[in-house]
Amino acid sequence: MAKTEKHFKEIVDKLVTLKDTSELMIDLAYSSLLLNSQALAEEVEALENHMDNLHTDFERIVLASGFNTEESKDFLGLIRLGVVTEQIADAAMEIADVVLKGLDPHPILKLVIEEAEETVTRVMVSETSRLVGKKIREAQIQEDTGMWVLVIRRGNWWLRPRPDTIIKAGDILIASGYAEGEADFKALVSGT
Amino acid sequence: MAESEKIDYEPISVREALTEMKDVSEIMIDLAYSAALFNSHELAEEVLELEKRVDYLAYIIDMNTMLAARDAEDAKHLTAVTTVAAATNKISDAAADIASIVLKEIGIHPIVRKAFEQVEERLARTIVKPSSILVNRKLDDLELAAKIGVDVIAIRRRQKWLIDPSEEEIVMEGDVLIVRGAPHGVDELKDVAEGKIKELE
Repeated sequence: MAKTEKHFKEIVDKLVTLKDTSELMIDLAYSSLLLNSQALAEEVEALENHMDNLHTDFERIVLASGFNTEESKDFLGLIRLGVVTEQIADAAMEIADVVLKGLDPHPILKLVIEEAEETVTRVMVSETSRLVGKKIREAQIQEDTGMWVLVIRRGNWWLRPRPDTIIKAGDILIASGYAEGEADFKALVSGT
Repeated sequence: MAESEKIDYEPISVREALTEMKDVSEIMIDLAYSAALFNSHELAEEVLELEKRVDYLAYIIDMNTMLAARDAEDAKHLTAVTTVAAATNKISDAAADIASIVLKEIGIHPIVRKAFEQVEERLARTIVKPSSILVNRKLDDLELAAKIGVDVIAIRRRQKWLIDPSEEEIVMEGDVLIVRGAPHGVDELKDVAEGKIKELE
């Protein structure tokens, strides 16, 4: 039987990733709209494809749990939760599509997405950056530059920054904030 | 199924309606996941209450954007608004689907729930009893975040929702507080709201 502790841990990890990814997509989609940023909208699009793969993996591992009729309800709940994350991702994609299709976001939309973000930038973390090996919490990025990390792209993965997330060399940090902070942010991340 | 309410046109600002819709849909998602993971019917029911509000706002936004278009250029800009409103509505529908998983007792595997509980912060709902020390106190003065690591993310006062309440908000008897924080802090706040604990440490 496949119902080992390791198996369940894998299900939890995958579900947490699906949930995080869908929420990250919403954040990015609203930001793309606010900044009318094609680059961020494309990031949402890439995540949408990534999400499809994650979701399929998740469904396969849940279905491989080897359950009887009695237990099937619990697993059905998991499958449905997965479907919901996919729906949320679709909704985020629809928001990003407004930007990709050039519909010119109405000024009202900027007022609705109230954050005072002005600019968005993406920079790769170099070996020499003092951020390497630090947790987001210790990195003091916002304090030092006024820029806020929206997402960390690590190879083919996207991570939603959490206080405990450790920054690695080669990570691409996508951040937004006031235009004045951009140069400081680039210097900090690229270690120059 | 509850009976559908009739909806009439109301001239309200699209900006306000869409802002509310966005805030409410985000809270619904948080509440819905918590409802599923803690198998809480209470939270699931709150999600469905909020869903009614979002549905109402969606209709109102549609009506008001239709009235606002005077020419093709307007229509193009406003399409962006209705598309975002529709997507936001979809997010709230997704949250409502999660709530239904709970209310129909489809359930989530207990072991997974337990594991999830360790990685996620906890959301809970609590009602402020008349004997609670929270009554008539300003959120700012209570310093819940500093003292017990708990944030009040929404207050339901009879039929009205205060989403992301301001620090100036005064807690009233009978308020339903939706709070977020580490499990022990959340439990402590529940005891305080019910008047079992008379002091915030």
